[in-house]
Amino acid sequence: MRKAGLLTTAAMALALSAGMAQAEELHVLNWQGYGTDEAWAMETFEAATGVTVVHDYFNSEQEMLTKLRTSPGAYDVILINSAFTQQAADEGLIQPIDTSRLENFAALSPGLRDAPDLSYDGEVYGVAWTWGLTSIAYDTTEVDPGTSIDILWDPQYAGNVGLRDDSVENVAIAAIATGQNMNDPADMDLIREKLRELKPQIRTYWSSEDEWNKEFSADSFDVSVYWSGSASRSATAFNLPVGFFIPDEGAIAWLDGLSIATDAPNLDAAYAFIDYMDSADFYVRWDTEAGAPASANPSAMDMLPDTAFNKVVLSRPGATDHLQFMAPLSDEKREEFLEVWEETKAYFAE
Amino acid sequence: MQTMSHRLLPRFADGMGRAFLALILVFLYLPIAVLALMGFNESVHYALPFEFSTKWYEALAGNDRLLTASFNSVWIAVANTVIATVIGTMAAFALGRFRFRGRTVMQLLLFPPITIPWLIIGTAMLVLFFWTGVGRGLHSMLLGHVALSLPYVIIVVGARMASFGPELEEAAASLGATPVQAFWRVSLPVLMPGIVAASLFAFAVSFDQFVISYFLAPPGTSVLPVEIFSAIRKGFTPEVNAISTIVIFVSMGIMLAFARLSKFGGER
Amino acid sequence: MRAETRRRWAIAGLTGPAYLWLTLTIFLPLSAMLWFSFQRKGPFGRHETEFTLKHYEAFFTKDYLQDLTWRSLEMGLQVTVICLILGFPAAYVLAKRIKGRWREALFLLIVLPFWSNALVRIFSWTVVLRPGGVLDSAVQSVFPGAPSIDLADSWSAVIIGLVHSYLPYMILTCYLSLQAIDDSLIEAARSLGASALTILWRIVLPLAIPGLAAGAVLIFVPVIGSFFEPKLLGGTQGVVIGTVIEEQFTVVSNWPLGGALSFILLAIVLLILAVSYPFLKDRMRTA
Repeated sequence: MRKAGLLTTAAMALALSAGMAQAEELHVLNWQGYGTDEAWAMETFEAATGVTVVHDYFNSEQEMLTKLRTSPGAYDVILINSAFTQQAADEGLIQPIDTSRLENFAALSPGLRDAPDLSYDGEVYGVAWTWGLTSIAYDTTEVDPGTSIDILWDPQYAGNVGLRDDSVENVAIAAIATGQNMNDPADMDLIREKLRELKPQIRTYWSSEDEWNKEFSADSFDVSVYWSGSASRSATAFNLPVGFFIPDEGAIAWLDGLSIATDAPNLDAAYAFIDYMDSADFYVRWDTEAGAPASANPSAMDMLPDTAFNKVVLSRPGATDHLQFMAPLSDEKREEFLEVWEETKAYFAE
Repeated sequence: MQTMSHRLLPRFADGMGRAFLALILVFLYLPIAVLALMGFNESVHYALPFEFSTKWYEALAGNDRLLTASFNSVWIAVANTVIATVIGTMAAFALGRFRFRGRTVMQLLLFPPITIPWLIIGTAMLVLFFWTGVGRGLHSMLLGHVALSLPYVIIVVGARMASFGPELEEAAASLGATPVQAFWRVSLPVLMPGIVAASLFAFAVSFDQFVISYFLAPPGTSVLPVEIFSAIRKGFTPEVNAISTIVIFVSMGIMLAFARLSKFGGER
Repeated sequence: MRAETRRRWAIAGLTGPAYLWLTLTIFLPLSAMLWFSFQRKGPFGRHETEFTLKHYEAFFTKDYLQDLTWRSLEMGLQVTVICLILGFPAAYVLAKRIKGRWREALFLLIVLPFWSNALVRIFSWTVVLRPGGVLDSAVQSVFPGAPSIDLADSWSAVIIGLVHSYLPYMILTCYLSLQAIDDSLIEAARSLGASALTILWRIVLPLAIPGLAAGAVLIFVPVIGSFFEPKLLGGTQGVVIGTVIEEQFTVVSNWPLGGALSFILLAIVLLILAVSYPFLKDRMRTA
């Protein structure tokens, strides 16, 4: 591990040794608390390259897009979920990636690295970084989970189920529960019904990891839809009794990539930073200290102990058989999903 | 003007009145007290039972981001208050004192800014500023804050004006005062409580404004409400309570100092 | 004619700065939004502009939008009425019963909660209202074994939180009007034998209408558009039309629908205003 660390650092320094000015900055746009702003990571990067990392955050993908559209030249590296990469590329907000400039690119898991959603018009626009699952989390002290997604509808947990306030996610859950393709459900009416059946189950929605932690600690729910990386964090960093499993029917998988903005002011530093983010060095420390989703870099995953949260979840036999990856959705589809969800919420509120 | 205390209700009701006011204050301060207390609570998850700890204040001392953001919030709010109060009062005075065509329309125009959710206004502002090259920045934020504060200032000062007819100024005029003199020496003191209330609202609107600030702040700069909102995503720790409590105490201090210097409770 | 011209200049000069500011920063952007609301899609991405009424029609064809709008109006009404009931007497006591330094101090104390951060404040309410929270613990310590108080994630919590946030507006605006009332008026009425109720109804209230109306406006109007407090305090009950509007901007890029719903809300507000204004104007008196 030491050797990989030194190599990465040397690589970064080399990558930046050409044409460096003083007091350089790298502007990153990401969710808050999602890896790129780990204090030690920014320090390591600065020590190796002399570049200070400055962050701006967003709270929703729409916001990320709005910020990109209205602040040209303000950002270098942006975190873009693979369901949005093509849209951003189509709007000319991000530039094609020159993968030869990335040391770690070739070593990434081919399935993720070459994911079609990360490309547009024959070029790579997003570098696979992390991937994770949205599945079922539960209170290990109170719940015996079983293996089915129908646990969310189990009357035993009435009033004790937490759902995220997210239309795409909830339509997807209902789709999986009714055996449909979550990115293109054939029978929306079935989904509407399935969602409505959740009425007695839900007490409150959560919309951020922090809210989830607070609600979980206050015992608002015992079973919930949640993200794998966040569950790992809640268990590791916050010592909450969180269990996580992938149901037989399947779960939602998502892939996050790092992209470079069209008018990125500091291109060299951007490539160096992305390389660092995809390094085993960074990932192992991130997951160990804070908890993280799975890395796109298989050697990074190998370096984790077998008891690491994500490894345990993914190693259950058949776990990854029925995963559905989030795909780009047209505006119309998103609006349709949103309408279904809003109607459902209005129904829940009656 | 006599200050003979009148008896609208018997003395018993007097005590009841004060008790009622006290209850209202308890209600107003209940969450504030909790807010302050939680800044001293050990648990990071705001779980009870209460365990005293100063760790959040210690953490705050090293939290540059929160501290800078607070400072930014304060001076933007001050600039906002001064500008909004001055031009808002002027407008309110004209709307209240003069009858002219278009007056009703102008009064109605105060409604859109307070009806339409700030989210929409913020997005619309962002788009317009982007298209016109104004961009995001502290100046944009100030533009936005004053715009949001103005309706409050105009409505509040307007309410005060509506409670006083033009008789006072007319009396002053009949005694030989010029309109300007009449304004300074007669209208202004009478309006003062309204102006003060309006400026306090304007400060609050700006200081706690996160929607507009969020959209218009340049990347890298921040104000307190935005920081707090972003912190919710990451980990809303009691450090946030600590800074909020400090802000409340500092505000209290400023307001008390201000109160000493001006008698704004109104002459009567 | 000169006096008339001077008067015109005075009006323009006094209202100019404020309204110019508002025009550039609010009315212009809102006009753009209004324009967008008649387009099929928002202003980004590659597509032709296409005029349509479908976003406005949506309000009339989709039940849930109407239901949620009613909810918001109800919310506004409940909060405003409660603020009136609590705020007016409080303002009266402050304006008429308390004198001197105390009055200033109390005036400030009432405003101070405004300056606390709304997010933290609302969150503090959840700490107070949830089971195991401050209120529950307090009750348990006095009556051990009492049923646990669980007000969190409910409509009541939303109303409590909103009343708390907006009450100072009512107290202060009423104060501004009540304080302007000459005590000798009330004295005179009293000495003429008028009962307390009569004095309240025929003297105090009409004179206080500007304050009451301003308070009602400053409370009702923002409350019906709010989505944040309902979200944090209401749980599954916390869904209102503001929620839908917000989501058009944060979940999808459907600015036209979000804009259309906002303007419909504005139209409703102006309608209510149009209906109540004549009524208030009649009853109002100035000191």
